[in-house]
Amino acid sequence: MTVGAIPLSARPAPSTPQQWWTLTTRMIAPTLANGELATQIIGSIVFTVGFYLPLKNILGAVQPMSSYAQYLTPLIVVQAIFFAAVSAAFRSAIDALQGINRRFRAMPMAALTPLAARMTASIYRCVVALVVSLACGHVIGFRFHGPLWHTVGFIALTLLIGAALALVGDLIGAATRNPEATAPLLLVPQVTLGLASVGLQPVERFPGWIQPFVRDQPLSQFLNSMRALAGDSTPAAPPVTWSVIGPALAWVAGIVVVFTWLHARVAARRP
Amino acid sequence: MSSTDRAVVVDDLRKSFGSVVALRGISFEVGRGEVLGLLGPNGAGKTTTVDILSTLATPDSGTALVAGHNVRTDPAGVRRSIMLTGQQVALDDMLTGRANLVMFGRLQGLKKAEARSRAAELLERFDLADAADRSVKHYSGGMRRRIDIACGLVVRPEVVFLDEPTTGLDPRSRLAIWELVSDFKADGIATLLTTQYLEEADSLSDRIIVIDRGTIIAEGTADSLKERTGGTYCEIVPRDMMDVPAVAAALGALLPGENRAALTDASDRVVMPAPDGANTLIAALNLVSSADIELQDIALRRPSLDEVFLRLTGQEGAAAVDAGALT
Amino acid sequence: MSLINETSLLTARILRRWSSDAATVAQSLLFPAGFLVALNVVLGDGVKRVTGTSALYGSVPLVSLIGATSGAIIVAVGVMRERDDGLLARFWVVPSHRASGLLSRLLAEAVRIVVITSFVMCVGLLLGFRFNQGFPQAVAWLFMPTVFGVAFSAVVMTIALYAQNTLVPQATEVIAAVMFFFSTGFVPLDQFPKWLQPFVEHQPCSFVVEAMRGLSMGGPVLKPVLGTLLWSAGIAAIIAVPLAVGYRRASRRD
Repeated sequence: MTVGAIPLSARPAPSTPQQWWTLTTRMIAPTLANGELATQIIGSIVFTVGFYLPLKNILGAVQPMSSYAQYLTPLIVVQAIFFAAVSAAFRSAIDALQGINRRFRAMPMAALTPLAARMTASIYRCVVALVVSLACGHVIGFRFHGPLWHTVGFIALTLLIGAALALVGDLIGAATRNPEATAPLLLVPQVTLGLASVGLQPVERFPGWIQPFVRDQPLSQFLNSMRALAGDSTPAAPPVTWSVIGPALAWVAGIVVVFTWLHARVAARRP
Repeated sequence: MSSTDRAVVVDDLRKSFGSVVALRGISFEVGRGEVLGLLGPNGAGKTTTVDILSTLATPDSGTALVAGHNVRTDPAGVRRSIMLTGQQVALDDMLTGRANLVMFGRLQGLKKAEARSRAAELLERFDLADAADRSVKHYSGGMRRRIDIACGLVVRPEVVFLDEPTTGLDPRSRLAIWELVSDFKADGIATLLTTQYLEEADSLSDRIIVIDRGTIIAEGTADSLKERTGGTYCEIVPRDMMDVPAVAAALGALLPGENRAALTDASDRVVMPAPDGANTLIAALNLVSSADIELQDIALRRPSLDEVFLRLTGQEGAAAVDAGALT
Repeated sequence: MSLINETSLLTARILRRWSSDAATVAQSLLFPAGFLVALNVVLGDGVKRVTGTSALYGSVPLVSLIGATSGAIIVAVGVMRERDDGLLARFWVVPSHRASGLLSRLLAEAVRIVVITSFVMCVGLLLGFRFNQGFPQAVAWLFMPTVFGVAFSAVVMTIALYAQNTLVPQATEVIAAVMFFFSTGFVPLDQFPKWLQPFVEHQPCSFVVEAMRGLSMGGPVLKPVLGTLLWSAGIAAIIAVPLAVGYRRASRRD
């Protein structure tokens, strides 16, 4: 009876990388089997086709780039990334709800390891989102026109945006502890920001009163930078300069700094 | 106990949450291989104590040492030595039982192969081998609790905190957990057991601490606590309720004044302390039968831990000396 | 107690729960309102340029439907939770008519959709939407989304009752998204590629939108209303038995 219940050997020394990796795979493995991944892929495809086909004529005529596909694809990429961030929030809310976080905090594990693992799992979802949405973009005609390092910059920027959004989603999910309510709550800002941005049409097409918001909101900054890095066959794409890319990076850095600090405070806080 | 034998040392622990004082200076010790039962009404401070000892909360003042590590200066050392199970089962619902065990094994530092074999051992030991590859979401309550505890045993703890481990379990699962606590004892692991089931505390604990409103109001073995609240008593039940005054008269000097005064018109029995145990009973029986009173029952009784507990925490209920109220 | 009494009681319970949860109210009303405004800002000019009439006659119905369906998915997930918590079983054991539980859910859905449609209508009126066809037509207009919406809710609820994982009913959002993107409420029919137009024209969401357009702005009414009714009745006929069976199974433990 005693044999088996309690091990007699000395306790091994846990290593942070191993703990981080264990927690990461624990979150990714189920998604492969339970359809989350498939839903994400199909969702990206639906969004691509759903925005492109109906709007191609109406809005395609009034944008400056070579094709509506070139103009629209960055928005599709960002929407896909946003969905990945929302799933991160969902997962975080479930964990908080189930009480497993309390157990982790009483184990020999660094306070930020669970968060780091959730972030890694989110980045994986973002990579999937990126690959699928770029593939969809390619099908409708989007191409990278700049040099290789511009394309690398595009991918890097997108993943950074994804990380920032996942950080936000994760904190919101852990705070609300209600996974079913979290997703719809995050949907509202996503759709509103998406419509009120340069994602579907250029700034000039908007009524005057809303143009400052449309131009300066972070999503528009992200999209401008992405269009600059992707380039175009016409000179209509913004140039790759600090004045174009800078604001996007500043937003990402700001979000990451603020929310990492918030997370650290919540994780280290013991009542 | 020498210092190396003490698994948990708590000295004058105090803790407040805003204006609510949860702990007002708690001190106790737990030796290696000892089981300490922590009793108290809801809100007494049991959970706060466990939280502090498992580094989930920091004390306002006082010291606490767990397996030699100070909870304030060396929380990481504490976490390496403990196993904590809460009232709520803490598992990943999306994984299977086996996957949960492997995950916790790897989180504690085992290599993948070791974690897998350890998981297989534990599944066998806790009788979960058949359900190992089903998602824990579909386990019954008893199975979930078993896998929850199994996940805490993938590596060897020095101190185990069991917070109401058998609440809501079927008798078989309960017995399995009781056996586990015996295994801990045999292996020199200290156990801090919080429970609402007083008979569980009674049969499992070496010592019991009763906490109420942030202080320890009683401490000792289950037997010594029962002694404190009046010890053995003798209960005499006449067949006819109307005979109670006659019984009291027949007992004469054997029945102390306060017990006599406690009898009311509604009393259906006479209760008195039995300091001589069986001899008191024989003496009482002789006196009553020579008065020719028919009896329904005459017996020696020990107070139950329920009665001890209720009395100590001042709740409504009976102490051993209260005639009539014990019925 | 009669079926009507019991159903009303249970429906009132559901409606009370929704109205007392601020997050639910905010999400179900503010999201459609905000979306309508944003949609109008982005697409209003373009659609007006192409068709000569305001886009609102299409977008207001569309947004009502979006509000109806996104809420339906949340409701379905809630039913799953009530099943897993044992609340459905508890209601089943009460001596009430066997159909009252299920009927109350569908009735609550209908009420919810009417409320959302009214709210979106008010926002639309602020933006310039007008009823040009008379009062009876306006009333019919108000109930059009409910006709299809309840059928859709029934489908999602059936899926939820047979599923173990909340991700399954949430996946129906993808199907709903397809319906919305490829409807005439989003952009006019001739904007779609030729090969897609038959699909766009005959899918249920477009029928609802066109019926409501006819009832408010003017234009063909009979054909789209018939289309809506056929779709809704067809879906209801197919889903009725699985839904009833599923609700019963979810309420029992065998």
